[in-house]
Amino acid sequence: MASSVSSKLYSDDVSLVVVLLDVNPFFWAGVNANSGTNQPAAALSFSKFLSHVLPFVSSILLINPLNQVVVIAAGVKSCGYIYDSGGGSDGTSVSDLRAGFLRRLEEFVERDRQLCRDGERAAATTSSLLSGSLSLALCYIQRVFRSGILHPQPRILCLQGSPDGPDQYVAVMNAIFSAQRSVVPIDSCVVGIRHSAFLQQASHITGGIYLKPQQLDALFQYLSVVFAADLQSRSFLQLPKSAGVDFRASCFCHKKPIDRGYVCSVCLSIFCKTHKKCSTCGSDFKQASADSRSKSDSKRKTLEAS
Amino acid sequence: MPQVRIIAKNFMDMVAALPAMKLDKLYDSSLICEAVLRSLPPLAKKYVLQMLFIDLPVSARTMEEWVLPDGSSKHKVAIDRLLQLRIFLEVIDRKRESSYRLNPIFQENLRKYLIHGGTLPREPMPSNVTVRLPTLEDLDAYAIEQWECFLLQLINSGQVERLTGFNPSMIKVFQRGLLSTRDNEPPKLTENGFQFLLMDTNAQLWYIIREYISSSEGHGVDPAELISFLLELSFHAPGKAYNMNTLADVQKSAISDLAALGLVKLQQGRKDNWFIPTKLATNLSMSLSDSSSRKEGFVVVETNFRLYAYSTSKLHCEILRLFARVEYQLPNLIVGAITKESLYNAFENGISGEQIIAFLQQNAHPRVAEKTPSVPENVTDQIRLWETDRNRVEMVASNLYDDFPSKEVFEAACDFGREIGGLLWEDTKKMCLIVRGESHQEMRDFLRRQK
Repeated sequence: MASSVSSKLYSDDVSLVVVLLDVNPFFWAGVNANSGTNQPAAALSFSKFLSHVLPFVSSILLINPLNQVVVIAAGVKSCGYIYDSGGGSDGTSVSDLRAGFLRRLEEFVERDRQLCRDGERAAATTSSLLSGSLSLALCYIQRVFRSGILHPQPRILCLQGSPDGPDQYVAVMNAIFSAQRSVVPIDSCVVGIRHSAFLQQASHITGGIYLKPQQLDALFQYLSVVFAADLQSRSFLQLPKSAGVDFRASCFCHKKPIDRGYVCSVCLSIFCKTHKKCSTCGSDFKQASADSRSKSDSKRKTLEAS
Repeated sequence: MPQVRIIAKNFMDMVAALPAMKLDKLYDSSLICEAVLRSLPPLAKKYVLQMLFIDLPVSARTMEEWVLPDGSSKHKVAIDRLLQLRIFLEVIDRKRESSYRLNPIFQENLRKYLIHGGTLPREPMPSNVTVRLPTLEDLDAYAIEQWECFLLQLINSGQVERLTGFNPSMIKVFQRGLLSTRDNEPPKLTENGFQFLLMDTNAQLWYIIREYISSSEGHGVDPAELISFLLELSFHAPGKAYNMNTLADVQKSAISDLAALGLVKLQQGRKDNWFIPTKLATNLSMSLSDSSSRKEGFVVVETNFRLYAYSTSKLHCEILRLFARVEYQLPNLIVGAITKESLYNAFENGISGEQIIAFLQQNAHPRVAEKTPSVPENVTDQIRLWETDRNRVEMVASNLYDDFPSKEVFEAACDFGREIGGLLWEDTKKMCLIVRGESHQEMRDFLRRQK
């Protein structure tokens, strides 16, 4: 086994692209749950979106027969593999891709809906499971690294529309750092209305590209211009630079993005309010101040006594 | 690594050399568009994708802004390639500025491919007609065996047990350029021939195919048809049977030759004949730079100049025999030694020491490949030393000047020669000097001025 790893074939222009597809019905159906009105959240219908993404996936497979594309759908409660060009059973021809892709996507959405119904009706969560899909992608990449003879250049492309889920903050950051560690750039293309602070940070930290297309009708063009190039070619291409990154962290107690907060001196957990005890590592914050107070108290007492 | 000169003109250059009409006709098939696209450099591929849905020409200056300053040379290569293959067409507008657009036929086909999917050239036959198809492993083994058999025959080795189905005159055509045919001497492998043997299978294959196509061009076969057939073939599924009746006449006559090369396996059923593409055929449309077909190494060289090759292939033995003394052959092992005599043989055939070293390094057994250097330094040094032994005399075309009228003129001439870096030798007593041939003109002008 050890020898097979060392004799892997490293090639610059073979890519493994993991596409994370946001299939959040709350977003695509255009119901803005926060305001409760029927204001469309997506400027692009889901079918149009797919009609841009599918040719993009097939164009990556087209330009190099050794390229591999994996599509992971991120729903509200679950995420799952939708398509794998290296799977063999589906074949790589475009018509096969389309048929298999849509069938699995439908199955996935149905399953996800079932899960939503089974669980408590949490209307507040309209975000997709970004952290879960990132973890799936990273696991998949690790598996490819450890098996097979090819060593493709991996990258992750997040196509996200729904707003960030602050409750996933810790999990997403952990995924980002592990991507950084295994040198997997996370590209992100935001098709929603608002910028995504999570993805801005993800792309910034891992050296990927963050893009929020202005005209969603031309999504394929954006995808093919910015995200189709392999990592080797990127070093001499003029690519969009990030305008700025929202570095705000989310507090661990209420999962809200905050500008200023309190940090546990032991485990660096972030809180928006003072606590007696760190909820992550259990360190007692009160103790130190109480100790000092009791000491000064006793001092005062001794002073009074003398 | 020595530059492999033999594939300087590769397959896609051959496609590019087709006249514009033929090239446009080739692009009628979306499969060929796909194969051609895959052969492009990465940057060019990206440009094609980027231009795919743009109908208006994009000015050359705008395109230059797509890359960073570092990438301008790659940009130029990509654009040149695209123009050469007529994928980009140059449009010159009124302001005499050039702009490019995609070849409309190519563009149309690729768009269709991306949106609706490609069509297979032909459907595989149902499995109830074709009973007992070979397994993929058997097919691979068959292809490799057939290919090696062909190569052995090509290098004229005495080890050939059976001949491939190739016409001997065809083999002669292939041997041109690979073997030297001096009078009264058995043909020997030339420098090119050795380089050919060192290439990976896919590159070798294309070299042969190229020769094959140009030779059938002489027999009145349209090269464009053959090229499109071969590219089509690479999109068939390996291991599936395809009916021979679906082939055109030109293709039918070509397919038996392709079977001799191991690209397809022919089988006969009760009613129909069919062909089964092997991996060699389906790898055809991969670009030459893809090293995925590279095999695992097998050679171990020891510091005592002994060489162990773990291989059952007769071809490997023949290659080793070119520069080493093969001592004995075991079923899975060839044992030999690199000696001065064996190397001199190789040098005489025009094989350079660097090529031999590169071969040993590239084919190093995985166990030794982990070490650096994979071939012991004393062996590589000795190979280089023995090579330089043969080149003790260096020839330089030069001119001798003598009969100088005075010492001053002679010394001035010497100084001038030294200045221009052409002075090779001087003798003050006899007053003569030797200057490189390329400096002769300058020297003569100088002497004339002195008079």
